[in-house]
Amino acid sequence: MKPILIRAALLILILTAAAGLAGAQDTTRRTVTADEVNAIAKQMYCPVCENIPLDVCGTAACAQWRDEIRIQLESGSTPDEIIRDFVARYGDRVVGTPQDPTLRALSLVTPWIAAGLVVALALYLLLRWWRQRPALATAAGATQPADDDYRARLERDLQARR
Amino acid sequence: MLSEIGLITLLLSFVAAVYAVAVAAYGGRVHSERLILSARNAALSTFPLLLVATGALLIALMTQQYQNSYVWSVSDPNTPPFYRFTALWGSQKGSLLFWCFLMSAFAAGALVINWRSHRRLMPYVIAYSMATLAFFVGLVLFYENPFERWWLVGGEAVRTVLIPDGAVAPSAARLAETANGLNPLLRHFGMIIHPPMLYLGFVGFVIPFAFAMAALASGDLSTNWIKATRRWTLIAWLFLSLGLLLGGRWAYDVLGWGGYWGWDPVENAAFLPWLIGTAFLHSVMIQEKRGMLKVWNMFLVLGTFSAVIFGTFATRSGLIDSVHSFARSEIGFPMFFFWAAVTVISVGLLLWRWNRGELKDDHPFVNILSRESLFVLNNVVFVLLFVAIFWGSFGAPVISEIVMNENITLGRDYFLQVTPPLFVALYILMGIAPLSAWGATSLRRLGRSLIVPLVLAAVFVAFIVIVGHTAEPAALFGYGIVSLAGFVALYETYRGVVARQRSLGENPLRALAALFTRSRRRYGGYVVHLGITVIGIGVIGSTVFQQETQRTLAVGDSLEFGGYTMRYDGFTNAIADDGRRMEIADITLLRDGRELARLRPRHDIYPTMPMTIAGAYSTLENDFYVLLVGWEANNANSATFKVYINPLINLVWWGGLILILGTLIGTWPTETVPAHLREAAPARSRARASA
Repeated sequence: MKPILIRAALLILILTAAAGLAGAQDTTRRTVTADEVNAIAKQMYCPVCENIPLDVCGTAACAQWRDEIRIQLESGSTPDEIIRDFVARYGDRVVGTPQDPTLRALSLVTPWIAAGLVVALALYLLLRWWRQRPALATAAGATQPADDDYRARLERDLQARR
Repeated sequence: MLSEIGLITLLLSFVAAVYAVAVAAYGGRVHSERLILSARNAALSTFPLLLVATGALLIALMTQQYQNSYVWSVSDPNTPPFYRFTALWGSQKGSLLFWCFLMSAFAAGALVINWRSHRRLMPYVIAYSMATLAFFVGLVLFYENPFERWWLVGGEAVRTVLIPDGAVAPSAARLAETANGLNPLLRHFGMIIHPPMLYLGFVGFVIPFAFAMAALASGDLSTNWIKATRRWTLIAWLFLSLGLLLGGRWAYDVLGWGGYWGWDPVENAAFLPWLIGTAFLHSVMIQEKRGMLKVWNMFLVLGTFSAVIFGTFATRSGLIDSVHSFARSEIGFPMFFFWAAVTVISVGLLLWRWNRGELKDDHPFVNILSRESLFVLNNVVFVLLFVAIFWGSFGAPVISEIVMNENITLGRDYFLQVTPPLFVALYILMGIAPLSAWGATSLRRLGRSLIVPLVLAAVFVAFIVIVGHTAEPAALFGYGIVSLAGFVALYETYRGVVARQRSLGENPLRALAALFTRSRRRYGGYVVHLGITVIGIGVIGSTVFQQETQRTLAVGDSLEFGGYTMRYDGFTNAIADDGRRMEIADITLLRDGRELARLRPRHDIYPTMPMTIAGAYSTLENDFYVLLVGWEANNANSATFKVYINPLINLVWWGGLILILGTLIGTWPTETVPAHLREAAPARSRARASA
């Protein structure tokens, strides 16, 4: 085989391989829509903004963060991985519910514990009132004559003043 | 001159309020009528004094007196007169002065209206309401004075309340050139009424608080204080409700995030007193009807005012960052101290009276299904909502920062996990409680009363499934529960009409009018429940079924979304009258090929910040809400839009209007003397005179 043919064959082989590699690379970088970016950004807050979710914040800093989310999605990261990455770099302030297990438990469980205590207290009080019902009813009945006496005396006094 | 007038009247109102506190407290103690009258006159004088102070600032704003540093900071020569007026409450200093003025108006109203009927409580009412007013006027006077002026001292510009030695006034032209202008976020029609409504709601609760404290201090723990304050509480609650609704509308129109409630800490700070105040409006009925829950009612009314002060502290001190809050300021410490003092003193006084056995209930709870028991459960749910929202907004963020040195935000995710079960419980109780009777109700009777509303709710859910093409179980469950509450209100009204028709032979309209005339409170309450139901349906629709997408369109391209077609027609640049630059996208909205509307979402570019103003097409079914997110730098041949479909969102606003109507019906004064007796009275007098 002539050297020129060998060189041509090698060149074709290299170009084919390169095209194949490029194609393989393209399949790992997928196209990401703005909606996918916003779905993640919606769960996050920018620390420099005032309690506005990242998906709707108009500042340049938030636009940069959304770009970063897009790049990470394009490179194959999952939404959870992206959020974890942001939390690792900027702290739990950037998410709507903390990722740290202790802080998460503190945040989410506390209101339910408080709710349980308040409901238990309310039920206890209602039951106690309900159990006291006959005793109080009797007591109320017992005080009725005294009350009537008092009213009668009051009426007599008022009559006397007229 | 205006600054001098404002300053002097502000100082006099502070002196008058402090005098009223001291003299009313002493006069009440020694039972001196002369001193109490003197305290009342001092208290009443705070209203005209603060009216003049507020008027002086308003005139300075309208006549562009830029030497006044407040005027300089919230307006500029381009600010239209409408926004000059709203600039009165556009920043911390002016809004605090306006707050004081409203509080003095409420206090004067309460003193004039209740003076004769609740004389025994009055010295203490004066003392507590004026102590609160004195605190806020003191804040304005010593920390956030809106009558500071710019001076040049040795070539250096300084702003001071009093004129420094050797000071000269800066040139008016230079001041006008450098003036800041109003915060762009506040340039919205809603801002002319949203803050005043919210302030009226907040300061209005000072009257129930003052009466409750007066009852505790004087020992008059009968239902007198409740009778005096019920209407004041309803008025404050109405304004607070209006403030919350208008705030939601403002956020929807101006903040550009497609929603009306972001669970922002400042929104929540206004919602917290509303929750406790609503609980109070329910439980107060139990004390009036049955003489029960005396301690609890005291706790609720004191808690409502404490929540008002805490909300004000959180919003104005810089404790939390929010788009709604004022800048960090020096008033944080005094406000925190005042809040703590109010809470400790009021709770201490309550516990003292309770310990002495002076707040014992007149009747026991006799039935777990009685209306009073269900109202207690309703109160428990309101308190739980308060706890959950307080924890998410302030408790967890502050504790994590102090204890764990970790700054966290509890956002929408947290609130949407924690609050829905509580709202469901609230709507269930709203549906059942009106059907139960005071004292006792059997399960069978309650069940029988529920049959018709339950059937109607089931029909409504079936209608949603058929018309809305949805089978989302959580949403359908929500619709069922929420509509049940509304159908109970309607059914109870219907039963009342039928009862009058049968017994009196009235026609339905006359019977309905008679029901509302004779029992305004009850049927006004049903209308409020109906309003809350309509709001609930709107909230479920716009939360669960909201759709959103973001697309970049070239000129002439269309987007199909939510049954609509949106076509990007072009881009316009414009300069508004007030100097802001506007970048406007021209959009045509179509449905089934028919043009529905031309929308113009835009960016308003102010020197200080940009604003995203949505374009929206509203129907009762949904809102098509579009935001201009970005555009090609040179020629805007392509632009990026964020589009939302917000189903049933308009029901939130319509429900708000129904709620207002219901509250007005419930608040409207009832004639104490029937008309026929009033007409007969003069005739009898004449007859006696002639005899």
